[in-house]
Amino acid sequence: MVRVKSRYLLCEINVSDRSELLKLDDRAVARAVKAAVARIHGDYGSALCSIRFCVKYLNAHTGIVFLRFPKGCYKLLWSALPFITSIESRGQIISCFFNCLHVGGTIRTCQRFLIRYNTQQLHRMLPKCKNEEEKKQIQESILSCSLMGRNNEAFEEELESEEDGE
Amino acid sequence: MQSLVETAAHLGFSTVAINYVFEPTAKKKQEVPSPMPISELIGQLPVVQGRSRPIRVLNRLTVVMSEASHFRPSATEYRAFDLLAVHPTTEKLFHTTCMLCDVDIICISVTEKLPFFFKRAPINGAIDRGVVFELSYASALRDTTMRCYTIANSVCLMESCKGKNIILSSAAEKALELRGPYDITNLGVLFGLSEADSKEAVSSTCRAVLLHAETRKTASGIVYTMKSQQEVLQDSAGSEAPAAKRPKTT
Repeated sequence: MVRVKSRYLLCEINVSDRSELLKLDDRAVARAVKAAVARIHGDYGSALCSIRFCVKYLNAHTGIVFLRFPKGCYKLLWSALPFITSIESRGQIISCFFNCLHVGGTIRTCQRFLIRYNTQQLHRMLPKCKNEEEKKQIQESILSCSLMGRNNEAFEEELESEEDGE
Repeated sequence: MQSLVETAAHLGFSTVAINYVFEPTAKKKQEVPSPMPISELIGQLPVVQGRSRPIRVLNRLTVVMSEASHFRPSATEYRAFDLLAVHPTTEKLFHTTCMLCDVDIICISVTEKLPFFFKRAPINGAIDRGVVFELSYASALRDTTMRCYTIANSVCLMESCKGKNIILSSAAEKALELRGPYDITNLGVLFGLSEADSKEAVSSTCRAVLLHAETRKTASGIVYTMKSQQEVLQDSAGSEAPAAKRPKTT
């Protein structure tokens, strides 16, 4: 009886229109997840969801969320996530779907996976660069990815410049 | 369509099949739709997430059968499609498709309560032949009653077939109806599959279907023909071509 264990689910929210991502906030996401779980698994699901569930991290630029679930029932609650078709935030309905990328036992493991995933995304963006300057920026941010917390900011800047360039 | 394929590539799917549904009605001589060439539909194929190859797009035909004469086993129009699927609507048809028909996939309807029960004998026959049963999950995402039917039908199927030879497919019409592979694996558990079976349903069984389709098109999987850019003949590639067979040209 040493440690209370949770599972952290790294999800990506996909929308058809990137500008809508910026309107998300963590409470809207939490509400959407709870509603979906209640719809699919009823009262049992909403009871399980109220134990230790929360949205730990939300990145509006890239659409990455960390959700925390208790270890004993995370599969059940995870199975309700595909049924989410839209999130309502500030009166607007954003059609989206959740794509789960990774399940980890701690936030640190999820963060490590996220860094690797972001570097892969940057690599994917490299061939699409329009000019040399963007290419250089992307290469620099790939090289500077690390666990020290600088990676996320570098990635966000890249993403924004890519969107403007596109 | 372009956004669908791009989303699929982003989620990590390496092969995608575009489905054409053909429902022969009482009117005879209805033409089987011919598939549009992929290059016209899509253009630049996006690269799959996590790999360095572009996504592979195939054509697939689903024939909704309400009579035995609807499906002709060696019709020439079927050659243009890479995958063949059949959707039987009665018990007798189900039996014939499992045992006799030369298809890759048998679709199990998810939009209505099954009009017949599954029996072990035809299902085992189909499993031996390599035919898979398909469950689609897009209707479950849309509507509550559809969800009930989907889960009911799939649990029924699992009881008879023990989770072998199942594939889960999204009958997605928009890019927002696709789901990632881990999510589909979890959905499979909801549908009654065990966890290992569910993972297989998304990965190895699907690959088995593609190989089955390729061997169905060729002569026992030994000789296959390739399209050539020139109009001149001589194109059979593959290990051995028996001298008696003339290479078929396209």
